[in-house]
Amino acid sequence: MNVSFGKFWKSGDPFIWMTGGALALSLIMIISLIVIVAANALGYYWPDRLVQVTLKDGTELLGQRIVSEPIPTPDTPAATVQSRTEFQVANRDLYGADFRWVNDADITARSFPAEALLFERWEWGPLFGFLTTVTQDGKVIAEGFARAWDKFQEIHPRTQETLERIHRIERKEIGDINYALEHARLGLKRIQTEERDPARAAKYVTALEQEIATLQHRYAEKAAELKTLYDENARYRFLVRAAGGKEKELPVAAVVRAFLPNQLSWWGRFKLYVTRLVEFVWDDPRESNTEGGVFPAIFGTVIMVLIMSMMVVPFGVIAALYLREYAKQGPMVRAVRIAVNNLAGVPSIVFGVFGLGFFVYVLGGGIDRLFYPEALPTPTYGTGGMLWASLTLALLTVPVVIVATEESLSSIPREWREGSLALGATKWETIRKIVLPGALPGILTGMILAMARGAGEVAPLMITGVVKLAPTLPLDAHAPFFHLERKFMHLGFHIYDVGFQSPNVEAAKPMVFMTTMLLIGIILLLNLTAIIVRNRLRNRLRFGTF
Amino acid sequence: MSDFQQVAPQEISSPRVNARTSASKKKGASPRVNLRWKQLTDKAAGVVITAGGIAIIASIILILFVIVAETLPLWYAPTAQPTPTPALENPHPLVVGVDEYQEIVYFATAAGTIEFRSLTDGHILQRFEIAGLNGQQVTSAYRDGIQHEVAIGTSGGLIIPLRLVFTPKFVDGKRAITPEVREGKPLQIDEQGRPLTSLVYSENGGVVRAAALVGPRTLLFFSQQEKTSPLGESSLEQSRTDLSPQLKSDVTALALDQFQSNLLAGTASGELYHWPVDEPEKVQLRQTFSAVSTPGTGISVLGWLIGGRSLIVGDASGGVNVWVQVRNEENSQDTPYRKAHQFRSHRTQVTAVAPSPRDKGFLTADVGGTVLVHHSTSEQTLLELSTGTNSLPLLTFAPKANGALTVDSHGQLFRWDLHNLHPEITLKTLFGKVWYEGYEKPDYTWQSSSGTDDFEPKFSLTPLTYGTMKGTFYALLLAVPLSICAAIYTSQFMHPRIRSVVKPTVEVMAALPSVVLGFFAGLWLAPRIEKIVPAVFLLVIALPLVSLIASFVWRLIPLPVRSRLRPGTELAFLAPLLLLTMYACVSLSGYIDTIFFNGSFPQWLYTTTGVQYDPRNSLVVGFAMGFAVIPIIYTIAEDAFSNVPQHLISGSLALGATRWQTAIRVVLPTASPGLFSAVMIGFGRAVGETMIVLMATGNTPVMDFSPFNGFRALSANIAVEIPEAPYGGTLYRVLFLAALQLFVLTFLVNTVAEIVRQRLRERYSKI
Repeated sequence: MNVSFGKFWKSGDPFIWMTGGALALSLIMIISLIVIVAANALGYYWPDRLVQVTLKDGTELLGQRIVSEPIPTPDTPAATVQSRTEFQVANRDLYGADFRWVNDADITARSFPAEALLFERWEWGPLFGFLTTVTQDGKVIAEGFARAWDKFQEIHPRTQETLERIHRIERKEIGDINYALEHARLGLKRIQTEERDPARAAKYVTALEQEIATLQHRYAEKAAELKTLYDENARYRFLVRAAGGKEKELPVAAVVRAFLPNQLSWWGRFKLYVTRLVEFVWDDPRESNTEGGVFPAIFGTVIMVLIMSMMVVPFGVIAALYLREYAKQGPMVRAVRIAVNNLAGVPSIVFGVFGLGFFVYVLGGGIDRLFYPEALPTPTYGTGGMLWASLTLALLTVPVVIVATEESLSSIPREWREGSLALGATKWETIRKIVLPGALPGILTGMILAMARGAGEVAPLMITGVVKLAPTLPLDAHAPFFHLERKFMHLGFHIYDVGFQSPNVEAAKPMVFMTTMLLIGIILLLNLTAIIVRNRLRNRLRFGTF
Repeated sequence: MSDFQQVAPQEISSPRVNARTSASKKKGASPRVNLRWKQLTDKAAGVVITAGGIAIIASIILILFVIVAETLPLWYAPTAQPTPTPALENPHPLVVGVDEYQEIVYFATAAGTIEFRSLTDGHILQRFEIAGLNGQQVTSAYRDGIQHEVAIGTSGGLIIPLRLVFTPKFVDGKRAITPEVREGKPLQIDEQGRPLTSLVYSENGGVVRAAALVGPRTLLFFSQQEKTSPLGESSLEQSRTDLSPQLKSDVTALALDQFQSNLLAGTASGELYHWPVDEPEKVQLRQTFSAVSTPGTGISVLGWLIGGRSLIVGDASGGVNVWVQVRNEENSQDTPYRKAHQFRSHRTQVTAVAPSPRDKGFLTADVGGTVLVHHSTSEQTLLELSTGTNSLPLLTFAPKANGALTVDSHGQLFRWDLHNLHPEITLKTLFGKVWYEGYEKPDYTWQSSSGTDDFEPKFSLTPLTYGTMKGTFYALLLAVPLSICAAIYTSQFMHPRIRSVVKPTVEVMAALPSVVLGFFAGLWLAPRIEKIVPAVFLLVIALPLVSLIASFVWRLIPLPVRSRLRPGTELAFLAPLLLLTMYACVSLSGYIDTIFFNGSFPQWLYTTTGVQYDPRNSLVVGFAMGFAVIPIIYTIAEDAFSNVPQHLISGSLALGATRWQTAIRVVLPTASPGLFSAVMIGFGRAVGETMIVLMATGNTPVMDFSPFNGFRALSANIAVEIPEAPYGGTLYRVLFLAALQLFVLTFLVNTVAEIVRQRLRERYSKI
């Protein structure tokens, strides 16, 4: 200990360590955020065992253990603090709540019954219980766990196939008919308001009315077919005994999948895990977005970002070319450059307000009055939609592209341009063949950064066209295929909506964590790509200089 | 010449360019055409890019103009357009009203009729004879100015209620309105059958309350309600009270509110008598108070604003005031009237008052023939309308509040079209304290909607601006020290190899969507922080302390061991140490809670200081927003630090300064403008952040600086309310104004930061 404290203090080392601490803290914050999100998200789909718990008062519970914690009891010595455990008992329709806290001291017995079943249902969340009977047309066809379970497994795939067929008819076929009907009705209305010649109008009207009649006939046919399918599925039902003795009878078709969590092997668990992940990415949401998949949200996000990039890249590049290559450099251009730069820092909600006020109400309202008067007062373009949301985001991100493009344009060595011009190429040829190819990686970086920003923005979208549940995708088989006036779903908004607007936040949490991880993943991937592209660009320019 | 141009690039250009030119040459026809084509495309490209570039930049800048344009109508001065009116042959109507489309005007006349006249040509559309008169004379009439309901007072002490109904019908796309009168049963107000000289009347769900004067000092109160006996038989129960004994002066004006609970009488001596009439059997005078602007003058008119809570008092000297009931803090039963707003006075006696059926506006007319248009809440007198010199005893607002109508003492009709879109908006109502109905004192309030019809929206941007600033403050409180220290360390003391990993990591954090941070803060962090509040404060002290101790311990390690490790690797030791500290603090939190805060900090806070702990509070927001701001400040500050010319640093070190001294005395001052702009840009980001504040606060527009409760920020407010705001309405425009406020604030801050940064760059290049 030959170091004096004063000298140590003067050396400044403690301060260096403190600044280092600040950096370490920032890094810890970032990393722990990502780790927490990932842990919460990825753990959720891993099938957990079902534990049966008997309490002191004789109550039985069947559920999955969520978390244990000490009971917050004021004025008690720490040593005597008891702990409690939260179980997901599911069976929302039987118990009313999905979760239940149990004092650990009250638990008298725990077991993992091999016959405990986990049913994932289309509605009402999961169901935990024991299968007792399977019935067909009201008659018991299998009784006792082993036989009922066999029967269930035999019937269940068939009911799901029927259900799939029902969904196809409801969404696709009846959807098509409805679309055509709506089209015909609007046509009728348009003729009645616009056609001056009564003879021709009458002709069109009869034709359209006939078409409507045919469509309605087809609709009735489909409805009849649907009814037979529903009846078919309604024949098979099964009876479940939940913990505590309550019984519940359900149609077999109401179950998405059922399995015995306490008998699953590691491989079985893994397979189930992957199935659930695939379902998350590819399926439609269920139970007001708290279960099922997020496919429409992924699709909406991707299409919106693509449309946005298609607009933002050419506009951004042209604006940057003008600023860097064509405009006379002076205080005016400098001011414009600063203004454009700063627009990147203007709050996104301001862009959203602009999008709503200008695109939706002024432009959209104008389009409606000009081209869709027959649908008024129902707005077609005069309400939030894909097009307006993408345009708003394009405005929001165009400064990013302009700045990135300008930067890469200015990094093209002067000698390249001079060489090209000296060899007789025109200015445009120089730009097209020398400058732009050289700046391409920079433009790409800008585009990717813009896409990342666009994918993560929520506030401006909330007011220009994103909804919690869109009945149709913005891209489908009906001409003209792209329906840019439609509202759409978005991953970021999904997080906000499910996490904060959902009636059952606790049950929705895992879904939100999953969506969050997906969104973070997409955005980190885009950003990493941008960083890699940028590094490539730097290297190339370094070696390309002559 | 042209041949040379074509050949030359092929021969000397780089292979990449070569390949393309030769390909294009194959396509070209003759060299001459090609040259012209080249010049043409060059020109075309120039024109297209210039035009396109200017158009794009202009359209970006258009944003500002569109937002400003949407807010402008808020400031438009109200206008009134006099419209021609037909002459009337019947000179002395008692009550006037007009239908919703301003096509039909109606009068109650002294002759015992209700006349409906066309406003376009004056011809009588319908004349209704009041059947209940039975030969009595009409002596007075009353209308509350909002409903199409008239009560007629007769010479025999009766009140005859009339309801006027306008039914619009569309025939061949044209509107035709049929007026209709539904007469109610006459009510005997004065059992002695004296003529009623003045009356007020209110009917609500079968309950009737009325008051009438039968002489200057004789005031009668009447009540009738249906009573159902236990056997199920219903009977009408009437009660009459003579209020005259309490009067000390002549009554000149009466007012009965729509809730049928307050009766007021104004007197010639300028006093207001207030009787609560909730219980008709026990009507007792509660208070008398002087309610005129200049003492000694009499009250000439009384009226209610829409909603029936604010009393308009017009006096003989022309004063116009609005009085409201204010709850007494000591005794909630006692609700005295207080003067809330004072308006521009008339030059002569006020003769009539008419409330607006749409908002808290009202009209007053005087003896001298002038009508004033006021708005109560914003305390403005918006317009002065002049008719001539005759007194104006009758006055009414059109039902859509888009017109005013008055009749002078000679029976001449006057009408104006009013354009008064946003009367409630002034700079004062937007940013100052405003005394709203139902409040005890003027205050800053934001409350844009409610369930009831007569609700008045309250648009004060002050609590929202305050919320934005509060959130920004807490975010910067965390972010500025952390990010600047981190930037100093990264640029000055860190090993370059680690730096090349660390910097992009922090930068990627900037790309994290704010909805993720908001979700994380609101759903994960908030419930956890609630349990470990003491640990949070402990961490603020413990983390720097642990870093200090670590550096001291480091010093104790023998030099040979230490020197093997390169400087800049402290991080590897610090990170786990800090994690351990955090863990320790969180575990200790429970003990601190039990020892100092009786086991639960939120409860302790509430019982000792009265501050409600809100789980989604400013602490959580500050933390989450800090996340968003740290990478921004860090990146810019780090750039500023590491761009400090190396020779300055080398010089300082060569003169014997330590690394820390160099960093603080040389690097920091040189880079300070960069730091300033870093903080400014971080500030801009925090101000405009929407999703985090939306998700991690309770969004209540309170003005309280406590870190333990939430707030409502401008940005979150826009996001929540604009989808519900009707296009072109006041709320819509006020939200645009809020957006404009954000735009201007961030744009200014960013511009200053950008200019500072450019100056700095020039300075570096000179050093």
